[in-house]
This record gives sequence, structure tokens and C-alpha cells, in this order.
Amino acid sequence: MAYSEFWNPKNETLPREQLQALQLLKLRRLCEWAYATTPFHQRKFDAAGFKPEQLKTLDDVHRIPFMTREEWMESLLEKPLFGDILATDQKNAIRYHLTSGTTGRTPIRVLDSMKDWDWIAEMWCYGMWGFGVRPEDIVYFAFGYGSFIGFWGAHYACEKMGALVIPGGAQTTEARINQIIEMGATTVCSTPTYALHLWQKAKEMGIDLAKEGKVNKLILSGEPAGSIPAVKQQLEEAWGAKCGDTAGMTEIGTIMIFECSHQSGGTHIIEDHFIEEVLNPSTDEPVGYNELGERVVTSFGRGFIPLIRYRTRDMVMKVPASTCKCGRTWDLYSGGIRGRWDDMKLIRGTNVYPRAVEAIIREYIAIDEFQIYIWRKEEVQDEITIKLELKPGHETEWVVLQHKLAKDLANAHEGLRFNIERMDYGVLPHFELKAKRLVDARPVAQY
Amino acid sequence: MATSDTDLLGKPLTEQERALMSVYEELKKLAAQDDLPPCAARNVRRALMSMWQATNDLNLQFEQLYEFGV
Repeated sequence: MAYSEFWNPKNETLPREQLQALQLLKLRRLCEWAYATTPFHQRKFDAAGFKPEQLKTLDDVHRIPFMTREEWMESLLEKPLFGDILATDQKNAIRYHLTSGTTGRTPIRVLDSMKDWDWIAEMWCYGMWGFGVRPEDIVYFAFGYGSFIGFWGAHYACEKMGALVIPGGAQTTEARINQIIEMGATTVCSTPTYALHLWQKAKEMGIDLAKEGKVNKLILSGEPAGSIPAVKQQLEEAWGAKCGDTAGMTEIGTIMIFECSHQSGGTHIIEDHFIEEVLNPSTDEPVGYNELGERVVTSFGRGFIPLIRYRTRDMVMKVPASTCKCGRTWDLYSGGIRGRWDDMKLIRGTNVYPRAVEAIIREYIAIDEFQIYIWRKEEVQDEITIKLELKPGHETEWVVLQHKLAKDLANAHEGLRFNIERMDYGVLPHFELKAKRLVDARPVAQY
Repeated sequence: MATSDTDLLGKPLTEQERALMSVYEELKKLAAQDDLPPCAARNVRRALMSMWQATNDLNLQFEQLYEFGV
């Protein structure tokens, strides 16, 4: 059967002038909605002297105040569980998800209504269809299906597209490999790190995935590595499959960028559903094409929690749509998400803020000094280890502390495994001023 | 502004688009009825949720549906 190359041909090829007219119309309506329904946005708009009717051209977006993760956190700390940002009654929600917070144990919690949740899948449809997933595909999800939003939207997108979905769920890596082979999966969705781990484990099992498997597409998300050429090449050779990068965030619930089947070295922005600004993080002024900046996102999808000019701290470089020959009129981020403008670390798809980790560690009076050590195991798997020293006289608490701390940290980070390692007293550097307790020993990405 | 004859960008609707909007509007009317049996009420909402995606993707409407619990 012949399919359109585009999920939504009308908008994926819309002339940019019309695309911007659509964005302006949606932006104004979204701001009106947010102002009318959420005290959070009403307060912010009033403080900035902004009114939705001031939006006459798309350049007027700069009149809207930024929204930050810190403000959102403050709101939900002041008014648990969701803050004063919900635009409708909680009874309209059918989904709850969360992402680790910037401080301590409090996560960012999100709710979605029926249509919001389906929109989340819709955005994945744009991306997965764009990379070549079709109803005939058999799609395997190497994903744990918890409160972490991860590939949930992609799962429902594949059901919507008519593909056969295999939810990997809580299985061992060996069992997942066997299932991928046995079921003849043609597409695997995974983080880049875990895709490498699957390949390495398969090798140990005597299985050559490139020869014995039927996988021809890997859909990657959760880590920037999906757009790093060296990682991509390694994965494509190992699996004998094309690798497509995507990126999203729990705050919007889904992906906002995807790599199309033409693999031009960048990820298209879904511009009929998002406005993606790229700003100089110091001056807040817009930067041009081919310049590094911070992405600031406005989402037209989830009406439950309006996200308007949200500062992501993601480092990106926008390039024009013509960079890719696919025919889409949507601009791209060359190299996907290239890094961070803040100290957030991404470990196996989970956001980790060093200050949030420290806040939990500081609850343990037996701990004297510590170091957050991030490293790469056997060149494939990102690990996070808390190296710590106990105060003299507290040594007997180690066994209980080790397990409890690992559990507390995991609970605050969507179940992410933290290794806890005790060091002899005096081994770790001790600080009085400007402590540097974070060591990221992973190789630096080369674009 | 969309009218019954144009999309959000003022382009005339195609026959397919007109039919899609018609289904969407009918579903809204059904969802507003409070005496549907649960099997109809909930499935109408599921259908409305899906039609919202198609009509929103095609720039035929941009609105919220929380008053219907969707």
C-alpha cells in the first residue's frame, strides 16, 4: 500500500508565512485560555503588564513573560499537589505522570485529560511516521512503563498508526532480546544507551542482531546521544538499522522534535503544535540560524497545564527547513539537543539535578562529605554513583544507610538506580567555599 | 477565524474537511447529552477525543473540550 510520506501533509508542507500565521492565532488563543483559567499565568501576565490582545504579530511573543521550572516548583510546593497551574478541574484528568524536580524530593507532577493524552500520542505519530514507521511494522518498546512518561506516548502512537505493539515492560535484557528476535520486531524504541546495552548483551548471548534480527529502525529518545554521529554510527552498524532521534520532555508530555527518514543530521520541530524560540541565555535576545542558544518552548497541546515560553535550558542550534530535502517546511535543530545551559544531567533518560541529590544526602547526618560521580560503564551504560564518607563514630550505620539512601534517591528520580559507595575518611575532597561535588567522567560528545 | 466554510487560516474547506468537521460537531452534541448510557457516553468521548486530533491537525478548530470531560 502506498502511504503519504507525511503524517499531516497539509501542515508539514505549509508555507512558512502561513505556518507563522497559524502559530500567532494559536498563541493568542492559548494565552487567552491560560489567563482566564490559571491563577499562575494570570499572576505572571499581570506582573509583566501583558495582555493576550497585545499579540499582533509573532514577534510580539517577546511580550509574554518567561515561565521557569523553578516557578512551577514553587507553585506546587505552595499548593500541593499540582500548584495553581491547572486550567481545569482535576476530575477531567485521566493520566498522571511526573518528572524529577530541581530541588529535594518534590517532583513536577502533570495531569492530562483524554484529548491531551491522545494529543501526546499524536505528536509521536508525526515523528514515528516521519521516520518511516507504518501499519505493517512490529514495534518493540524497551521501556518500563512507570510514572516516568518516557515512551508511553509512542506506544499509543503506534497503536493509533495500526502497527503491532510489543510492550517490553519489566523483563530482563535477555528476555527482551529473545522477544525482539522471536516476534520479528522491525522497530525498537529505546534510549541510545539501552540500545547499545541490548546489542552488547545480545553479543554475549551469541546473537548478531544485524544478521539474526529483523529490526530496520531504532527510534531513540531520552538522551542527546541519538544525534551524536559516533553513537549513531555505532548503533546503526550494530543493529543493521537506521537510527532516528527524537526529543521530548515531561513538561509538555511528548516529543517536540524528530528526525525524518531523510536523516539530514537534524531534528524537525513540529511547528504547527509548538513555537520553539532560540535565545541567547545571557541576554534573552533571539539568536539566528546556526547559532547556539537556549530553546524556549510554547506548546499548543496540553490545555490542562498551559506551557507558555517555558525556559528549557536545553542547548540547540536552529537551521532552516531547506537543510533537509524531505520537503517539510519545518525548521530543524542541527544535532538535536546538544547539551544543557545548566547543571542538569541526563542519566538513562532521567533528569538529575545535583542540588536535588544534595538536598536528599544532607538529610543524613551520618554523612560528612560526598561526591556525585557520573560515569559510563563498559562504554555503553551511563551510571551515577554517590561516593560518600561517614562522620567518625557513625560507621555502624553504613549498611542501613546505604540501602535507605539508594531507595530515597531512586524514589525522587523515577526509580533511577543510584550506586552508593563508601570511601575511607579523608579520601574525597573537602570544601569550604564553592564546592565541586559533581564529577561527570563520561566522554564529551563530538558533533 | 474558522467559519463553517473556511479553516483557521481562512482557506476554503475541502469536502473531506467539511465531513470531518461535521462528525466532530455531531460528537460534541452527543457528548453534551447527559442521559446517554455509559457505554455510549464514554465511547462518544473517546471518538470526540480522536476527532479533535484530526480536526486540530488540519487547522479546522483549536479549542478545549474539558466541559465534556474530554
